[in-house]
Amino acid sequence: MSGDLRIGGIRRGDSVEFTFEGERIVAQKGETIAMALWAHGQRVLRNSSRDGGPRAVLCNMGVCYECLVRIDGAVVRACMTEVENGMSVLRGGKP
Amino acid sequence: MSAPTCETPATIDADVGIVGAGPGGMAAALRIAEAGLSVVILDEGSRPGGQIFRQLPDGFVHANPPAEPPSHDAGHDLLHAISGATVRIEQRATVWDATPPRGDEPGRLWFEQGSASRLLRCKAIVLAPGALDRCVPFPGWTLPGVITAGAAQVMVRGYGIKPGARAVVAGSGPLLLPTVTALASAGVKVVAALEAAPRIAALRALPGVLRSGARLREAMFYARQLWRTGVTLQFSHAVFAAEGDGCVQRAVIGKLDREGNPIRSSAKSIDVDVVCTGYGLVPSIEIGQRLGCKAVWNEARGGWHIEALSFGATNVERVFAVGEIAGIGGSEVAIAEGHATGAMVAGILQQRPVLSALRDRATSVRRAADAMLRAFVVPKGVFSLAGDDTIVCRCEDVSAACVRDAARLHGDSLRAIKMGCRAGMGPCQGRMCTPNVQAIATRGSCQQWDEPVAQVPLKPVRTQTILSAPTK
Repeated sequence: MSGDLRIGGIRRGDSVEFTFEGERIVAQKGETIAMALWAHGQRVLRNSSRDGGPRAVLCNMGVCYECLVRIDGAVVRACMTEVENGMSVLRGGKP
Repeated sequence: MSAPTCETPATIDADVGIVGAGPGGMAAALRIAEAGLSVVILDEGSRPGGQIFRQLPDGFVHANPPAEPPSHDAGHDLLHAISGATVRIEQRATVWDATPPRGDEPGRLWFEQGSASRLLRCKAIVLAPGALDRCVPFPGWTLPGVITAGAAQVMVRGYGIKPGARAVVAGSGPLLLPTVTALASAGVKVVAALEAAPRIAALRALPGVLRSGARLREAMFYARQLWRTGVTLQFSHAVFAAEGDGCVQRAVIGKLDREGNPIRSSAKSIDVDVVCTGYGLVPSIEIGQRLGCKAVWNEARGGWHIEALSFGATNVERVFAVGEIAGIGGSEVAIAEGHATGAMVAGILQQRPVLSALRDRATSVRRAADAMLRAFVVPKGVFSLAGDDTIVCRCEDVSAACVRDAARLHGDSLRAIKMGCRAGMGPCQGRMCTPNVQAIATRGSCQQWDEPVAQVPLKPVRTQTILSAPTK
């Protein structure tokens, strides 16, 4: 999967820049971290705590906690947290 | 609507506090505000509407919005009305504890909002927290690219983002159709749409559909959309497995027998990058349980739900339940119940009589929904899709084999299995796996799970939120 998964014909918010695992990502204001990364083709948000397997968005509405990522040491749900300029996001779970 | 600032008071007071700004919560709020009472809605989303009437983020505009089902007209009406009403909505508010009103003591709803720890005090509480997608585990369902039917709709309708290029939609119940429609409208190729229930289920659902004009119009809309996209709903079919190297690349699909057991000889592989799965919805009841509301079991309504009596009243004084928390029924039910409950709450607080027509309407719409949803009970065989090493509890990485071993050693109650293998003890607090662990342990013969116990915090919040919570 490559390219941008944003659907055409929608006027969106201002551009916002953040980093995920050090990589620079351009998103639109109003998007969540999970959606900005998904649109970018980046699905894996954490590694599972036991076997380290890749995990990604499951419910996309704040229930399943599969999308836990880290921002400044705090663990947050990527699907419920809006992107902000300069945010530095790291994968959750097993480093 | 506002992000908390230094001036945002930690404690707020209102006549009525509502949990959830979906259709039920909005309808109730409008009735209460109309009566001149103050009302505050605590909502976890970024904008009102709930999951069903999910809006694009603030400032996003669809130049050419896709066709919507007729039921969404009611959603637009509610959203329009609420934006002009004196209803205060606190967005991105996660409620983590609650106490009911007692005598002159107000009810209390503690919530986390950003990094702020806040409290809402009110004379009456209306619960409209909605529901969550029911997943049934299958091999490979932890692979990135397996998402719930609800997640797919949030991506498309809530953010204007395609879940992928090629998708399979699988599960059971009326929610598969809007998922297919949403994907197709986004330009995603829907390779297959699989309903686990047999074709006869659709026929059994028919009386419930025909009894309500609105439901019939809805069904006609989806029939037209399916025809337009060229997707045929295949009954008695399911995704047996998702496969791929690090993310979904293929799905193994096939036929189910009459009990829902996979017929392995029918299996075939299709190339997809997304699997959307949903076996109906499960009511979010924990806040009701925490307030002391009685939960009852009804399989057609999604399992355990809060028992709502006339006008949404629960067994706890001045605590009401509307919409999915009182049993899965859809947005039409939630709106009708929201209106009835909103009017009743205002009536109680202002000591005025309430029109019984509102209650009668709610009861009749609820009956029609029950009649339809009875047809889509999860077939028991699908619980044997999970292989020994299939993860059942995603938070704690507990496999089906571990769940079955725990049940053998400690007994197949929810509590025994949980203690035996940690299923349901991770951050989602068992929300995703509880409906499945006992069914998987017993290979589908025990589909009624034990009533879960609500834990505080009701959702994980920061330690600081709890420590700095306003106490009064």
